[in-house]
Amino acid sequence: MSPISESYSHVSIPFIVSSHGDRSSLKNTNHQFPEETSRGLFASNSKLLRFCLNLTLRSNPSLFLDSSPPSGFSQFIGESANIYFIHSNFAFSFSNAAGMKEKKSATASTLGRILATCSKQAKDYGSCVASKVHEVERDICLKEFLALKNCMQHTRHLSALLNMISSSQSSVGSGALSHVYIQNPPLRCNIPESRGLFYDDANRLLICTTSSQIFSWQTAPFNPDVSPSVDSISEGPILSIRFSLDKKAIAVQRSDCEIQLFHRETKQILSHKCKAGSESILGFFWSDSPLCDLAIVKTSGMDLFACDSMLNLRLVETKKVNVNWYIYTHETRLVLLASGLQCKTITGFQLSTAGVVRLPRFEMTMAKPESNSKPILSSGDVHLVTVYGRIYCLQVDREAMLLHSYRFYRDAVVQQGSLPIYSSKLSVSVVDNLLLVHQIDAKVVIIYDLFVDSRAPVSAPLPLLWRGNQGSGTSSEAAIKENESSESSTSNGNIVMYEDAWTFLVPDLILDQTNKVLWRVHLDLEASWLLLAISASSSDRTSLLEFLQRRKLEANKAKQLCLGIAKDIILERRPATQVTQAIDVLVTAYSYSVKAGTFKEIKNEQTTAATPAVGASPDNERHVPSESSIDEEVEMNLPSGSEVNMFCADEQPESQLSSPAISPDELYKFVFASVEELMVEESEYLVAIITEFLRSISAEKLKVDLNVYVMTIRLLAYSKRFAELSLFTTNKIIEPSKEVALQLLESGRQNLRVRKLGLDMLRQLSLHHDYISSLVQDGYYLEALRYAQKHKVTSVRSSLFLEAAFASNDLQHLAAILRVLSELIPGFKETSEYFTFYGLLSETGSSVAL
Amino acid sequence: CYELLEAMGMASMSCGSESLRLCVFDLRRGQNEGQELDKILFFYPPDLTFSTQLSVIGLSEGLITFTRLFSPEAACEVIEAERHSHVFFEAEPDIWMVMIVEKNKEIEAIWRVDALRRMLKEVHSLFVMFHGSIRALLEKEPAGGLIRSHLHPFITDYLNDLSVGKKLQLPSFRETLKERGTVQMLTLARDAALEVQSLVGVLDSCAGTVRCHSLILFHDLLVSTTLSPDDTVDLFTFSVMRLTTNAVSSGTSSWSYLRKGSSLSQISSRSNSGQLLGSSDPLPSGNGNDVGRVIRPLQQDKWSKGKDGFLVTDIWGKDATPRIYLQQTQERVYLLTYQHKSLTLVLLVPSAAIVNGELDISFVKHQVIENASAKILKVEEKLSKGWGGENAYHVSGYRYLLVDNDMEVSRASPPGKVATLAKESLLALSKLRETVDSEKSRTKQEREMEICIRAKNNAWAIARLTRGKELYMALEKASETLLDATDSVQSFSNRYCSGAFSMD
Repeated sequence: MSPISESYSHVSIPFIVSSHGDRSSLKNTNHQFPEETSRGLFASNSKLLRFCLNLTLRSNPSLFLDSSPPSGFSQFIGESANIYFIHSNFAFSFSNAAGMKEKKSATASTLGRILATCSKQAKDYGSCVASKVHEVERDICLKEFLALKNCMQHTRHLSALLNMISSSQSSVGSGALSHVYIQNPPLRCNIPESRGLFYDDANRLLICTTSSQIFSWQTAPFNPDVSPSVDSISEGPILSIRFSLDKKAIAVQRSDCEIQLFHRETKQILSHKCKAGSESILGFFWSDSPLCDLAIVKTSGMDLFACDSMLNLRLVETKKVNVNWYIYTHETRLVLLASGLQCKTITGFQLSTAGVVRLPRFEMTMAKPESNSKPILSSGDVHLVTVYGRIYCLQVDREAMLLHSYRFYRDAVVQQGSLPIYSSKLSVSVVDNLLLVHQIDAKVVIIYDLFVDSRAPVSAPLPLLWRGNQGSGTSSEAAIKENESSESSTSNGNIVMYEDAWTFLVPDLILDQTNKVLWRVHLDLEASWLLLAISASSSDRTSLLEFLQRRKLEANKAKQLCLGIAKDIILERRPATQVTQAIDVLVTAYSYSVKAGTFKEIKNEQTTAATPAVGASPDNERHVPSESSIDEEVEMNLPSGSEVNMFCADEQPESQLSSPAISPDELYKFVFASVEELMVEESEYLVAIITEFLRSISAEKLKVDLNVYVMTIRLLAYSKRFAELSLFTTNKIIEPSKEVALQLLESGRQNLRVRKLGLDMLRQLSLHHDYISSLVQDGYYLEALRYAQKHKVTSVRSSLFLEAAFASNDLQHLAAILRVLSELIPGFKETSEYFTFYGLLSETGSSVAL
Repeated sequence: CYELLEAMGMASMSCGSESLRLCVFDLRRGQNEGQELDKILFFYPPDLTFSTQLSVIGLSEGLITFTRLFSPEAACEVIEAERHSHVFFEAEPDIWMVMIVEKNKEIEAIWRVDALRRMLKEVHSLFVMFHGSIRALLEKEPAGGLIRSHLHPFITDYLNDLSVGKKLQLPSFRETLKERGTVQMLTLARDAALEVQSLVGVLDSCAGTVRCHSLILFHDLLVSTTLSPDDTVDLFTFSVMRLTTNAVSSGTSSWSYLRKGSSLSQISSRSNSGQLLGSSDPLPSGNGNDVGRVIRPLQQDKWSKGKDGFLVTDIWGKDATPRIYLQQTQERVYLLTYQHKSLTLVLLVPSAAIVNGELDISFVKHQVIENASAKILKVEEKLSKGWGGENAYHVSGYRYLLVDNDMEVSRASPPGKVATLAKESLLALSKLRETVDSEKSRTKQEREMEICIRAKNNAWAIARLTRGKELYMALEKASETLLDATDSVQSFSNRYCSGAFSMD
C-alpha cells in the first residue's frame, strides 16, 4: 500500500469515532453534544467545499461553464459529512502550492475534475455518512469511501495531487492530518535504575532520581540532545523534588511529614519535619515572593518560610486552611487549596514578586448526578493555565461533561463559561496562547482560543500526531525511510498516543512515564489554519486573521499565512466589505504591535540577527550570514512583489519575528503590488479595496508607502476614472509627493486634466525644476520662464525655452526669452547657445530689438 | 436690419410684460416655401402668432447664414440691437436656440451674454439627459410632433423655475459672481474624503457585477462623483433643482443659483396661478399626433422622500423609476436617489443590471440599504461635523468667484455676502467678465491673463486667468492702490488656491 492510501484509511473520521464512542457514558448528561458535533461537521464540510469550489472556479472558470455543475453536486455539499478529511487533504495541497500559481490552478482544476467525475461516488458516500451520522464508528461507510477513493485515484492528474498531499506533510509519523503533534526525537532519560521521574516547573527541569543520584535536564529551550546535570543525594524515598529558584538547593519530600533540603555546593543537609499525626505534608514549592522562599502545603494549611543561604528555614506566616489537595504552577505563581467534602471549595493565594495575594474563596461548579452520591473533585481535574497573560483555572465537571473556566482577577474569580468535553479523562496544554484540550479517551485534541468570547473550538478535533525529524527533505519517501530507521533504533513504534502513563506538564510538555521520555507539544499552524479556513465561513476570514495575528510562537508563519489570506480574498474577489474587515484586522494589529513595541521591521532584523540574541542557539548564529543575504535579495526584488520573494522571507528563522503584524508597506508589497498585474482588468475593485486600506491606515494614523498612491493613480487612469482621480488628488486621499506628481503627469498623457493635477502638485511642492520642465514640455514656455525668473531657478536647460520659442515661430518671444535668460543666468551672454539663437534672431528679423 | 427686427413682433412683446423670447429651430427643416413652420420646434411665449414666430426665426436664420460665410465653424454668438440682445446657441448641429432679451431702462436688466448662453446650454443639456438629443427625436418622428411635445413642457418647466411673481428673472449682473454650468464642491478633510470614497466603493457594487455610477451631494454641494465632468454638471444641476433636501422640502431657503429668490418669493410664485405651465395643465399633444404620454422631468414639487429613504416621484408614471442618458458613454441608466438628512445619494444603475424591471430595482435599493446604510450614517455624521454652514466659503474682505474650467467646478462668495457689494462694483465686475468672455472666445487657447479695473465707487474689479482656472473678485476698500489690490489677490491665491493664481 502506498503511503498516501494509508493516510486515507487513517484519516477516517477519528473524532467522530471518539466522541461517539463515549456516548454511553454521556447518556442523560449532555444531550446537546452529538447534535453539536454533527452540526459543526456539516457546516465545515459545506464551507470546505465552497472554499475549494472558489478556488476551482477562479482558476478554471470554464470547468463548470460547459458542463454545468455536476448532477448531485449540491446534494453532495449538503449531505457529505466525512468527506471532510479527504478534502482537508486537498486543501492542504492548495496551501502547499500557494506560492506557485500554475501548480495551484492545476490542483484546483484537478479537484474540480474529481468532483465532476466522481460525483456519484461522492454523493453515495455523503448520503451514507449522513444517514449514519448518529451511529458513527470507525470505518463508517467504508465501502462507499473506498469506491470514492478508487474513483478519485483513477482520475487523471490525481496521482500528482496525491503526491503533493503526501509531501506537504513530510515525515508525518502516522500519516494522518492533524494540527497538533509531538516531535521526534523526544527528550530521553536513559538512566538505568531510575526510580522516579519528576518535573520541576519553576526551573523547567525534568528530574530523574535513582537511589543516590539526581539527574536533571533543562527543558526550556527544548532540546532533546541536552545532557543532564547530576547531583548526589542521600538514599531514601522521594515523594517530590524541586530545585530552589537559584538552583543552589534541592528540596526533597521524603514522607508526609519530612522535607529535606540539600545544598548543592556545601552538600549541607537540613531536615524539616512537621507534627506527625496531626497533620501531613501534601507538597511544597519554592517562591520568589519577597515574603517567603519556600511554601509547604499541609493538610492544616500552608506554611511560608524564609530561607537563608545556610538553608535555615524561618516560619514567616501560616495560612490556616483545611486542605485536601492543592495545585500550584510556577507560571501563575498561584496555589489553589481545595477543601470541603467535595473538595470544591477553593482558597487561592498568589505568591508573586509583588507579594502574597489572597484570592477570594470560591466554589467550583459541580453538576449533581442523578444518584445521591456527591462527586469529589480531584486535583487532576483542575488545571491552571496562562493564555494571553491571563490566568485561567479549568475544571473538569465529569457529570456535566463540561470543562468550566474561571478567570482570576486580583480581587475576583469570575466563571467564564464552559467547554464541552468528550472524554472522561482530560488534560490541557497551552501552546502559543491556545488552549489544547486533550480528550484522552477519544485520543483527540481540540483547540480553543480563549481570546474570543465564543466558546467554539478553533478547529475540529483531530488526533495528536507523532512526527519525525524536523526539516527532513521534501520527498516523502526519504521522510518515510528516515522514520523507519529512527523507529527501529529508538523503538518509537511502541508509542501509544495518550497512554495512561502520560503526564501533561505545564504548559506544553508531555511526560511518558513508561518510556521515560519527554515530548513537547507542537502546533501545526499551517494545518490549523487550513482547518480553520475550511471550517470558517467566508466572512470568518476576519476572525481567522485575528486568530493568526495573535500567534506569537510561529510569528513568521502566521504572518505569511495572513499575507496569503489577504491576497487570496482579493484574488477571489470577495465582497469589498469582507476584504475591508480583513484589512482592518491587519492594520489594527499592526498599529497595536507598533504601540506595544513588538513589531520589528524586516530591515532591523538584520542587525538583531547579527548580534547574538540571548538564548540564541549556535544554529541560529551559523545561519546569520546566509540570512542577511536572503534579506538583501528580498529588499532588492521587492518592487516586483513576486511570490518567490515572499517565500524567501519565509525562510527567515522564526526566532527573529516576535509578532505576525504586517506593516502597511508589507501589505502593499506582498498583497496589493502582487495582485495588481493579475487584477488590472478589475482595477475598480482593487481601487475600492485600496481605498478601504487607506481609510484603515488613516484611522490608525499610520503612514503608507508612496507606491500605494502611485499604484492607485495607475489603476484609476487605466480604467479612465479621471473624475475620481481628481477627487482623490484634490481631497488629498492621494497625498502629494514628487512620485505621485510624476505618475499624474505620466497618466495625464491620456488626459490633460490629470496632467494639470500633476503640474499643480509639482508647483505646490515647490519642485521648481520639474514644474518648469513639464510646463515647457506642454508648450507653456513663457509661463515656465516667468516662473523660473520669479523663483530664480537656473537649473532648467536654457535651450529648452529657446527651442520651444523658436519652434513656435514667435521671434518676439525668442527675443524676450534671450533677454530674460541673460538676466537670470550669469554669463549667459558668453554661451554658444546665446550666440546661436541671437544669430538666428538677427538673421530672420532685425525688427525685433534685443 | 435692426429696424427690421424692431418692426417685427416687438410690439406684441410689449403687450405682455414678457421681456423674453426663446426659440428652438432646425435649419435643416422647412427650407421650401410654405413649409417654414416646420422649422419651429419651440417658441416662447407660445401665444405669439406663427407669423411673428416665423419672423423672429427667419431673422435669426438669416443672421446665422450670413455670419457663417465668414466663420463657418462658429457662426454668430450674439447680436446687440438697440433694444434687444439676441443670444445664439447652436445646441446640436443645425439646431439653434435663440434667446431674445429686452434691454429696457431698468438697471436690473443688464445681462452678461455668456451667462444667458449658459442658460440655453443648461436647458439643452438637461433635455438631452432626459430625452436624448433633439436630432434623435426628430429622426424618430420626422413630422416633428414628438420633439415639440417634449420641448414645450420641458423648457416651460425650466423657465418656471426662473419666474418670480409674474416675471421671469434672468441671470442679471447681480449674478456675476456665479457660474452656471459648473459644480460647487464641498471641501473635504482627508479622513472624510476616505469615508466618502469608501461609501462610493460600496455604491459602485450595489448592482452586482455591473458597476454603478454615483453622485453624492451634501446640502447643495457636490461631495463625490464617478461621472465625467459634463455628466456631473448635468446631474448635479438637476439634483440641486429637484432632488436635494432643500429642493424636496421646497420652501427652505437656498443659496444655490439654481433656485431663485428667497423662500417667500418662491412660495408665492408657486402658489401663483400665473405659472407658465401648471402641473395640472393638460399636456399638449404635438400637432395632433398621438405621441402618448410626455414625461415632464422638470415638473416642480413632484419628488418626495419615501419610507425607505429613496425619493419617489410619479413623473415617470406610478412606481416607475426614472431613466436618463449619460453623455459620455451614451448609455441609459436608471436614476435612484437616496436621502439621509442633508446627504443625497444619486445612484445610476446601468440598464444592463436591470433585467426584471422594478424587481431588480428594488433589489438594488435593498442592496444600498443593506450594504451602505452604516457608511451613509458615518459620512453624514462626518460631513455635518465639518460643515461650516452656508457661509463656509466666505473669505472676509473678498467677494470672489473661482472657476476651474477643467473640472467644471466653481466656488464663490456666498450670495448673502455678494449682496453687500455696491451696484457699481457688481456692474464693473460684470463688465470685466464680459471683456474676459470676449477675450476668451477670441483665442481658443488657454492663456494667462490679468485685468484690473477701477469701478466708479473706487472698488477694484480683478480678473485673473491661468491655465484653465479663472478668478474674479471685487475689492471695495477705496483706499487701496493697485499694488495693494494685487497683493490681496496674491495672498488669496496663495491661501485658498494653493498658489494657482500667483504670478508676477
